Amino acid sequence: MPDPLSARLKQLIVETLRLEDIEPEAIPDNEPLVGGGLSLDSIDALELVVRLEREFGLKISSSEEARVALSSVAALTSFVRERGDPAKLPA
Amino acid sequence: MAVPAVRIAACGCLPPLGDAAATHAALLRGERALRPVPVRGREGGDPVPLALVADRALDETMPPAWLPTLAELWRRVPGDGWGSPRRPVFVTGSNFGVGGLYALRRNGDREFARWGAPPTCTEELRQALGWGRDVSILSHACVSAHLGLLEATRLLAAGIADEVLVFSFDFLSPFVAGGFHALKILNSDFPAPFRERATGAIGLGDGAAFAVLTRDRGEWRLEDQTLYNEMHHFTANRPDGSGFDACLGGLGPAARGRRLWYKGHGTGTLEAGRMEVAAVGRAFPEAPITGWKGSLGHTLGSCGLVELALAVAAIRAGWAPGAIGTGDPMGPRVATTAFATAAYDGVICASNAFGGAHAAFLLAHA
Repeated sequence: MPDPLSARLKQLIVETLRLEDIEPEAIPDNEPLVGGGLSLDSIDALELVVRLEREFGLKISSSEEARVALSSVAALTSFVRERGDPAKLPA
Repeated sequence: MAVPAVRIAACGCLPPLGDAAATHAALLRGERALRPVPVRGREGGDPVPLALVADRALDETMPPAWLPTLAELWRRVPGDGWGSPRRPVFVTGSNFGVGGLYALRRNGDREFARWGAPPTCTEELRQALGWGRDVSILSHACVSAHLGLLEATRLLAAGIADEVLVFSFDFLSPFVAGGFHALKILNSDFPAPFRERATGAIGLGDGAAFAVLTRDRGEWRLEDQTLYNEMHHFTANRPDGSGFDACLGGLGPAARGRRLWYKGHGTGTLEAGRMEVAAVGRAFPEAPITGWKGSLGHTLGSCGLVELALAVAAIRAGWAPGAIGTGDPMGPRVATTAFATAAYDGVICASNAFGGAHAAFLLAHA
């Protein structure tokens, strides 16, 4: 049973970045998001950060923090679970 | 290609702490022009460190509230006939009146469009300041002013112009501040260029400056200039720092045998700061490194010319201000306090820009 938050984040990545040829569940949990197999760049990261802040009511305060949060889906899941508004997280 | 030496007949700047002499004195005192300002101006948002010229809010106005600053700067430019074929003007900057486009979107007032784009902004400025038609726009993000200096040098070397006015400005707006804030490099922390710490942060500042370049008249000389474009990435430098090396290496012949100090770009981001310090250590291991964006913020496309005027003020006064806000520096050559310039033959002033664009010049007494 996949983690609902992890699954939601993968879906959000595909939607936000319009990754038309990629199924959300095909995104690995532990590979780098930026500079990895998805070929995301810093502008993609910017779009993702804006979307994450809106969607989960969290705040990323520095580029270093963004880098840690976006290091992998697993890291992003932990970050959102820790920092996100509990009311906005999937049950 | 070697760039011929060129003289500076006059230069000046008007950042928020006053003219070059006043700003230099304030930097020596360790003053900071940066203040916390809501990133979206009157619409609020996170407080971020911005340095705005006096009596100006971040929000765009019509006419632009920064226009009097440019008019005041223009009054300090010597000579006449600017904007004529033998005395052309290069207007350089990275944002021009782009804040006006954001204001247009917010309030629908089409008057804002007049200042919104580089050509319209420059034409408004040309008419307001009474320049002739020989006015060109050069924009290459945060090395814009360097590009203006270099192209002016080429015109002079080719004998196409007698003197060239390089006029540079960048004024902040919610649009510009919001962009850097979205990138998370402009946040609630104050910048500490060349300082080792857990997270980096920049500040942004209004900036306006000029230089009159000539072939053979003037107290100061640009001994050499260099521009290098990595073409590596939209925003990032090559991780090995080789872009910095390539740029500084271009100054080798002119720098050989000189005792130099180094005025760095140093915005407060960590990676670029470390790369710059390391590259200076390789190219000019004896040079003390300083930078003033910890006080003035990053004045974007105008920074090369603003900091040129401040470097001139520093050499005139005999003291170079240290890097503001920088305890725990990234290396032993980073100067955290003022140092005497008498022991040096010149200064290297460097700027960097998005896209891995690097620029530097070597400034010395003529």
